[in-house]
Amino acid sequence: MSTINFSAREINFKIVYYGCGMSGKTTNLKKIYESIPGTAKGELVSLATEDERTLFFDFLPLDLGQVNGFKTRFHLYTVPGQVFYNSSRKLILRGVDGIVFVADSAPNRLRANAESLRNLRDNLTEYGLSMDEIPYVVQVNKRDLPDALPSDMIKKVLDPSGKTQFFDAVAAKYIGVTEPLKAVSQLVLEHLAQKA
Amino acid sequence: MLQPSLELYGESFEKVDALLDDLLAKSHAQYVLIVDLKGFVIAHNKALWAPKPPSLDSLATLIASNYSANLAIAKLFGETGFKEMIQQGDRVGMYVEELDETALLVTLFDTTAALGRVKMFTKKAVTEIQTILSENKGEAPTMNFDENWHNSTRALIDGLFGPSK
Ligand SMILES: Nc1nc2c(ncn2[C@@H]2O[C@H](COP(=O)(O)OP(=O)(O)O)[C@@H](O)[C@H]2O)c(=O)[nH]1
Ligand SMILES: [Mg+2]
Repeated sequence: MSTINFSAREINFKIVYYGCGMSGKTTNLKKIYESIPGTAKGELVSLATEDERTLFFDFLPLDLGQVNGFKTRFHLYTVPGQVFYNSSRKLILRGVDGIVFVADSAPNRLRANAESLRNLRDNLTEYGLSMDEIPYVVQVNKRDLPDALPSDMIKKVLDPSGKTQFFDAVAAKYIGVTEPLKAVSQLVLEHLAQKA
Repeated sequence: MLQPSLELYGESFEKVDALLDDLLAKSHAQYVLIVDLKGFVIAHNKALWAPKPPSLDSLATLIASNYSANLAIAKLFGETGFKEMIQQGDRVGMYVEELDETALLVTLFDTTAALGRVKMFTKKAVTEIQTILSENKGEAPTMNFDENWHNSTRALIDGLFGPSK
């Protein structure tokens, strides 16, 4: 799926942060934007409502650098999490190369996490894709909540077969933000090499 | 599969590049872009006299998303799409034409350009680019994902996000 531009000598990857509303997807992009050095990042674009809820998407381009004469770039996107924004979520998944699923540790969001994952599966199916073919990792966010559910419990619900990489995170404090992004980037690059 | 976005490389790229320059000159537009519907810039040219454009990444992703959202709206009404995609501000206008199912040709212009000319020459350029794309372009270039490539990408990822713990 990755887009290779032979004339501009660029390889572009699209990584989408998925998950239910308020799980911390936008926070991930904001923290990455704040922490990555200036030359490696582009502008952060947010299409949000007045109260900072994602309306369409957030977007952040990252430059990895040159490999074998090709500029390698990651375009990060978030989706709007709320259930009724599904048509927008579907549009953003177009051409996706890798997914970071951001799960919320709050007890009352367990069900919303599971529903969002099912929704991801359904939306991918509409593009003729399955979760097994797309590099995919999970970030279990908001580990700082006093009543956070045990990570293992969330893991069992979201990944009964235990095949997926999970990362605990407190995105608001930039803890566990780079790890899942690194992991999915690595998977995406390996995936590309295998398919070539 | 690697997706060469719009099979554009080598000689066909040179031709399209020349066409974009021609489009700029004839339409008096400031910028022309070919944008992939995934939000990537495939090609872009700027008129010599035009100021530095805003971030092309931002531009491309917003144009592609805007196009996709409009297409989705059209489909809600049983349409296959909307015919005219024009945005006009006080100083800047944007005209969008479909190149194929994966890409758009975008012309951005200021008040010195006449919309009629912009439309006419953009449409003409679309037809010409489509012809170039349909011609036999010979062997597609390939990329070599060897050990060296793996090591380099791993090092770059560590460089950007910090080494693994
Ligand atoms: N306690 C806690 N709150 C967080 C964390 N990460 C994000 N939040 C908060 O959760 C809310 C929703 O975050 P946002 O990134 O907008 O969620 P999105 O809907 O997934 O984009 C905001 O108020 C954030 O400050 C975290 O790690 N811990
Ligand atoms: Mg958000």
